[in-house]
Amino acid sequence: MTWLRLVRAEIRKLTTTKLPLGFLAVLVLIAGIDAAVVMFGTDMDGSKAFIATAADQQSLMAFAFNAMLGTGLFGAIAVAREYGHNTVVPTYLTCPRRMRAGLAQLTAVLLGGALLGLIGQGFIIAGVALALPSTEYGFLVTAGGVTQILAATTFAGAIGAVLGAGLGAVIRNLGGAVTAVVLALFMIPPLVVQLFSDAASWIPPTLGAVISGVSTDVNTWAALTALLTWGVLPAAAGLLLVQRRDVV
Amino acid sequence: MLPLEIEHVTKRYGHEVVVDDLSFPVAPGRVTGFLGPNGAGKSTTMKILLDLASADAGHATIAGTRYRDLTDPARTVGVVLEPNAFHPGRSGRNHLQVLADGSGIPRTRIEELLETVQLSHAADRHVGGYSLGMRQRLGIAAALLGDPPVLVLDEPGNGLDPQGIRWLRDLLRARAAAGGTVFVSSHLLAEVEHLADEVVVISKGRLVATGALATLQKAGTSVRTPQGRRLTELLQAAGATVHNGPEGELVVRGLRTTDIGDRACAAGIVLHELTPRAGSLEELFLDWTSNDNSHPPTEVAETERQAVPL
Repeated sequence: MTWLRLVRAEIRKLTTTKLPLGFLAVLVLIAGIDAAVVMFGTDMDGSKAFIATAADQQSLMAFAFNAMLGTGLFGAIAVAREYGHNTVVPTYLTCPRRMRAGLAQLTAVLLGGALLGLIGQGFIIAGVALALPSTEYGFLVTAGGVTQILAATTFAGAIGAVLGAGLGAVIRNLGGAVTAVVLALFMIPPLVVQLFSDAASWIPPTLGAVISGVSTDVNTWAALTALLTWGVLPAAAGLLLVQRRDVV
Repeated sequence: MLPLEIEHVTKRYGHEVVVDDLSFPVAPGRVTGFLGPNGAGKSTTMKILLDLASADAGHATIAGTRYRDLTDPARTVGVVLEPNAFHPGRSGRNHLQVLADGSGIPRTRIEELLETVQLSHAADRHVGGYSLGMRQRLGIAAALLGDPPVLVLDEPGNGLDPQGIRWLRDLLRARAAAGGTVFVSSHLLAEVEHLADEVVVISKGRLVATGALATLQKAGTSVRTPQGRRLTELLQAAGATVHNGPEGELVVRGLRTTDIGDRACAAGIVLHELTPRAGSLEELFLDWTSNDNSHPPTEVAETERQAVPL
């Protein structure tokens, strides 16, 4: 009961600033860009082969990795700003059991990330669906395909948010946490793949594509587990450090 | 009745000792002022009491319980600690609502407190647009949200206008009179003089004075002697602080009047006057915090402390 109260407080924190609105605006923009690509984009040969099949359209709409990156930033900002604005002080005064408070925060951020992922994917599907009538192709993705990319992006959004929140709790500085998310998800994985080519199957872009049904590099369950690990490790590090360090 | 107890607390940041074996009680039913120069360790001590920072040695408790073990912290201790612990993009009402959600406090209490701290008119504005005084009022409202019997307030008067300071003083005195424990740090010595029953003074992380303010203020002696330099050296060697008063007299603290007379007599020093003297808190504060801290703390005996009326 107490913990649910804390989750409610954390959700209120997230919904009483402009942070989610900012992310929603970015999602609308991305959906608009996707729609524009469908309407005006062409392949090198001038054709629209990139939307010619259901698989092509599903691949175009699959948003899991981008959602993970975006919600990673969301989670990092949500947690790191608590330290920047010192609102972490009333948080831990309300709940001095830091593990409980930290878990409540992670839960709220996870739900926020999942929702942003779901909404973002929904906007993109809607944008593409609205743009396709202006081309010679219809909307070819099956209901099952749509469901899969919605579920995949929701999951990736949740994991990204938890990853960002964990890094935010570890770094406790907004700029540093945002940079760490970009490094962890965008910069370092390709460099690691350069060194160890086998790692290519386990980096977030590949895993996102696998769970979205547009790649078969690894088994779907293995991809889900690997993505979960990407989120859980930084979150665990954040929770551990929150326990051990002085709040201020 | 929830007393606070700081027991042999030590805190280091790297090699720097910011709180050094600090011990003192804070009694319920009284307002206790917590004084010290900048960097003396006041805020760190409060953070240790509130489990926001860990002590390297010793511990701090609220009615014998560590803050982290309190079953309902928000209804036990109200805190004003960081002057700007608000998200600037969140409204005052939502700030309180977040805290109320976490503590299970009903929404009606928020409206009541916004009215009490006179912020109802600005409750839906972003805190980023608040003046320092308005933020301070919001912080006080947050501290009072759970109607706690203990208040721990770090510089709560900062930014308040004279009416606000008067209001705060009346509020804190009423809380103490109702049996609450009020522990308040402040740089506004004149305000503490009006407000506090007890003071705890620290310097460089160590206790330098504690006791009933009224008694401490009387714990000085005016001395007139033609052998001022000799007497000063004698009394300083005995652990007293000595400085020149406005009329050429010596003002001595840290030794009883009778001890001063006895020591002067034993040394063959002529005295023309030996009178108990009351001092302002500012004067006392400067005495307590400007010496080298090697003397034992000035402490008023429990019997004297109890004799001071509320």
